[in-house]
Formats: sequence, C-alpha cells, structure tokens
Amino acid sequence: MQNLMNNYIEVGAIVLFGIGFMTLLLNNNMIKKIIGLNIMDTAIFLFFIARGYIYGKDAPIVVGEFKGVDGYINPVPTSLMLTGIVVSVSMTAFMLALTIKLHEKYKTIDLREILNMKEG
Amino acid sequence: MVIKSFPLIMILILFISAFTMPLVNNNKIIKTISLITNFICSVLSIFTFYYVQLYGNFKYKMGHFDAPWGIEFSIGTLESMMAILFTVVSFFIIWYSLYSIEKDIKESKVCLYYVLINILIASLLGIVFTNDIFNAFVFIEVSTLASCGIIVIKDKKENVKATIKYVVLSSLGSGLVLMGIAFLYSITGNLNMDFMHSELIKNWMNYERIILLSIGLFTIGLGVKGAMFPLHVWLPDAHSSAPTSSSAMLSSVVVKAFVLLFIKIIYRIFGTDIISNIPVLDLILILASIGMIMGSIFAIFQKDLKRVIAYSSVAQMGYVFFGIGLGNELGLAISIFHIIGHAFTKSALFLSVGSMIEKAGKNISDLRGIGKEMPITLALFTLGSLSMVGIPILPGFLSKWNFALASIQSGRLYLLTIILASSLLNGVYYFPIVINGYFGQENLKEKVYMSKEKSIKELIPIIMLMGMMVCAGIFSNYIIKILLIACDQMF
Repeated sequence: MQNLMNNYIEVGAIVLFGIGFMTLLLNNNMIKKIIGLNIMDTAIFLFFIARGYIYGKDAPIVVGEFKGVDGYINPVPTSLMLTGIVVSVSMTAFMLALTIKLHEKYKTIDLREILNMKEG
Repeated sequence: MVIKSFPLIMILILFISAFTMPLVNNNKIIKTISLITNFICSVLSIFTFYYVQLYGNFKYKMGHFDAPWGIEFSIGTLESMMAILFTVVSFFIIWYSLYSIEKDIKESKVCLYYVLINILIASLLGIVFTNDIFNAFVFIEVSTLASCGIIVIKDKKENVKATIKYVVLSSLGSGLVLMGIAFLYSITGNLNMDFMHSELIKNWMNYERIILLSIGLFTIGLGVKGAMFPLHVWLPDAHSSAPTSSSAMLSSVVVKAFVLLFIKIIYRIFGTDIISNIPVLDLILILASIGMIMGSIFAIFQKDLKRVIAYSSVAQMGYVFFGIGLGNELGLAISIFHIIGHAFTKSALFLSVGSMIEKAGKNISDLRGIGKEMPITLALFTLGSLSMVGIPILPGFLSKWNFALASIQSGRLYLLTIILASSLLNGVYYFPIVINGYFGQENLKEKVYMSKEKSIKELIPIIMLMGMMVCAGIFSNYIIKILLIACDQMF
C-alpha cells in the first residue's frame, strides 16, 4: 500500500493504460476506439516521464547558467516520448482516415453493426 | 570497412527511393525503381552475410556515438540471413506484381503501392538489424502503418473492414510493447539490448515481478503482430482480402520480422538464465501447439481459397513459436529454418493462388479442373502444398523432422503427436484442391488444355521462389549448421 502511495504517478499511469486498453479493445464505436488508443498512449508517456523525473531537479533545458549534471532530471525518457508522440499522432491520423473510408463504404462507424451486416 | 555500413545503406536506399517515387509520374519507372532497389539490397545483404561468415559478428554505430548513448546495429549470422531472406523474397514478389498489380488496384494508386512496399521492407530490415529496443519500436510502428496501407489500397468494402481489425489489434500490440519497454527501462536504465542484458543479469533477483510483467507484455504485444494462436484473429481477413502480392508479402515476410524481434528480446535481453525461471516458454509452447492444430482445423472449413492459405499461415506460425517454446538450441535454430522455408513456400503459394483466382474465381469450388487449364500454375501450387504437408527433401518436411528431434531432446515425447496431427491436417485441406484440379471426369469436362495459363514470363518469379524453396530443402544441412552456431552464441 505504501508503495502504491509513493508511486502514485505510476499507479495513475497504469490505471489510465487499463482504461485506454479496454476502450480500444471493447468499444464498438470507431471514434471511441481512437480516443482509447490516445488515452493508452498518453498513459505510457506519463509512465515514462514519471520514471525519468527526479524530485527537486529542473527540466533538462539550460536557462542562464549551467547547473552541472546533477541539477537536471534524466532527459532520455522525455526525448523518447517526443518520438512516441509523433508515432501516436501518425497512428491516430491513419485510423481517422480509415474511419472516413469506413463511413463511406458502410454508412456507419459502429463495428458491431458492420459485423452483423451481410456481405454483399 | 565499407561492408560494415551495408545494413544502413540498405535501409537508406529503400527509404530514400520510396520518397523519391512520388516525384516520378511514370508508373513503369516507379516499378523499375522498386525492383532495382530491392535487387541492390539483396546483393548487399549477401555481401554482408559473407562478411559475417568470414570475420564474425559486428556492431555498427550510428554517427560514431558509442553504445549506450547512440543507436547501434548489431549484425550477426541470424540478422544477415534474415536480411537476405526478406530482400530476396520481396524482390521476387515485386517482380510478380509488375505484371499483375493493375488488376488489383487502381492505376493512380500504383505509385503509392510501391512507396509503401519500399517503406515496409526498409522498416522490417530495421527491426531485424537494430540493437536498440526503442528504435525497434519505431520501426514496428512504421511497418504496421505500411502493411495496413498495402491492404487498404485495394479500396473494397472488405479491405477497409480487415484493415480496421488489423490496425486496432496492431496498435494494441504496439502499446503493450511500449509499456514493456517502459518497465524494462525503469529497472535497467538502458535501451541498448546488450547493456540491458548486463544490467538485468546483475539485479534481476530484486525485480522478478517487473520482469515477469514485461515478458508478458512483450509476448502478448509481439504475439498479436506475429499471429500467435488466440491473437491471430486479424490475420485471415487481412491476408485474404489484400491484393495478391500484398498477401504474399504480409504472410511470408512481415509476420516473421516480429518473431525475430521476439527471439532477440527473449534471448538477447533476458537471456536463458532469467527465462528458465519464468514459465513463459511453456505458455508459448502450449499456445503454439493449439495454434498448429486449430489453424489447420479452421482452414478445412473455409470456402475461399485465400482464406485457406491465410489460416495455414496461422498454423505455420504456430510451428515457429513451437520451436521457440521448446527452449533448446535445436528448437530455436529450426524455428528460424522454418521461417526461411515458410517464407519461400507461402509467398509462392499466395502468388500461384493469386493467378488462379484471377482466371477462375476465388472459391475452392471454382477451381475444379483448373489443372487442365493452368497446369503449370497448379503444379507449382502442388509443390508448395507438398512442402507444407511435409514430403521429404522439401523444407516443410525437414523442419518437422527436426522439430520432432528437438522435442525428443527436450524430453517431451507427447509433442510428437501434435506435430504429426498437424501435418496430417495440412494434407486434409491442401490435397483436395490439387486432386480436384487435376483429376475426375466431371471436373475436366469442357475444359480446354492450357486455355487460361499465364505467359511464362509472369510465372518466372513463382518458379524462382519454388526453386529457392527446393534449394533450402536440399542445402538444409548447411543452413541448419550455420543456424545452430548462431543460436549457440545466444544461449
């Protein structure tokens, strides 16, 4: 319990990850699926950045004078997550484009309705 | 040495050529660019393989930054062999698609198709070569987008549906992989595979739960992409609705790259010491065994020929995971040999089936008597299905034989029945197609000999792929010996 309280950011990230995962997996509406994907990705970003954060230290940007290596948090997770955001944005864009196509072809974006439709 | 930078040059050639294609207006020139770049890459990969055989494994540093800070490529026997496989198979598939792609997709989309193909192969080579796990994740996402693109490019109703299924499950999978990377990064502080391994060896006793969790995340995440049994649901739709050359590419090359990454994660990051303490390999073995049987059973009930072959891919991926799950050197080496054999066989099968579907129709019942109309194509299909069922000399038999040896070596004799049952089930759905194609009075009535056969130049790529498959069977001793040496370094 104490561990959970101390690492509350990570716990929050995992809870968000679960919410996003289930939304992406179980929701039938395409738009809600995409929202679920975004929640899931954001949860991972939060987790990564929380692991890189060191209490009481600055963001790794030199403003004014350089405080030495110990003055800043770990910059690697932050920069990795920049890449992660780019990947997630392109995935979202692709899925939104597919949703438009889906609506064009089937006149609905509800996947259950589409599965119930007869092939024709 | 300039040869050391060949892996990077291969990826760069493919990416750069992909992005110059839209500048060219002529479809013929675009096709030529794609074919030539793939040919160059296969030549370069063969040189890399020779270099590795002569001088041993090597690491290539990006931009001269040393390992934990910069990104590294690690090229060994496995990686260079996979590079040869991917580039050669995709070269022949592109060759086939030169003649047939306009029949599947619109004229205006042809340029985009080859852009996507080149990006796809480049990203797969990236997954194979890279020694940096986050880099691998980025390549995974690139390859997912590209492979979704080559399915949806046909622009039919079922393609959009199949692609949505694929993209949803794939993004779930890559989310899980990224989460696994996050857990591993938080306990090792590194993204380079070798450094992660050395950190994990030092302190894995303190973090057993986190390691279990991250292995689980990697297994499920890459299992979705590599079509491990209960997570394969996207595969039949995606592979059967795609254009012929895309389905050949998807099932022969794309799913294999993720399996290779999975092998690298298990044996290079975690290592045998940690894996042997965690029951993950047994889980993989069970799922793979179920997949080998169920994939074939599903295939028997399909009416659409391409879906039969797609379900057969599920069963064959079951074999690959089976070898990993056995957890001994021979099993791992044979699962890689099976990747090679299956890549040649399945791409040739999909291409020959594609040409039959083009002329006759997509249901199995339409293909009665096709053997009189298209004897050469059906002969090629027969050769491929013989390999799938496991007739000696062909690679399908050799991998099954060696899987049997490996399961005896690991002391689990009951696994032999699964291998045997799966082979017999393969026969149940491949042979009726062949037999109804060639024989039976009522099937051959009113069929004109050679009336629908494609011209020989369109068949050459399929013949070449089948020839390479037979070569892989004949030289299997040599290949397996090299693979065993390579796997020995991992254990």
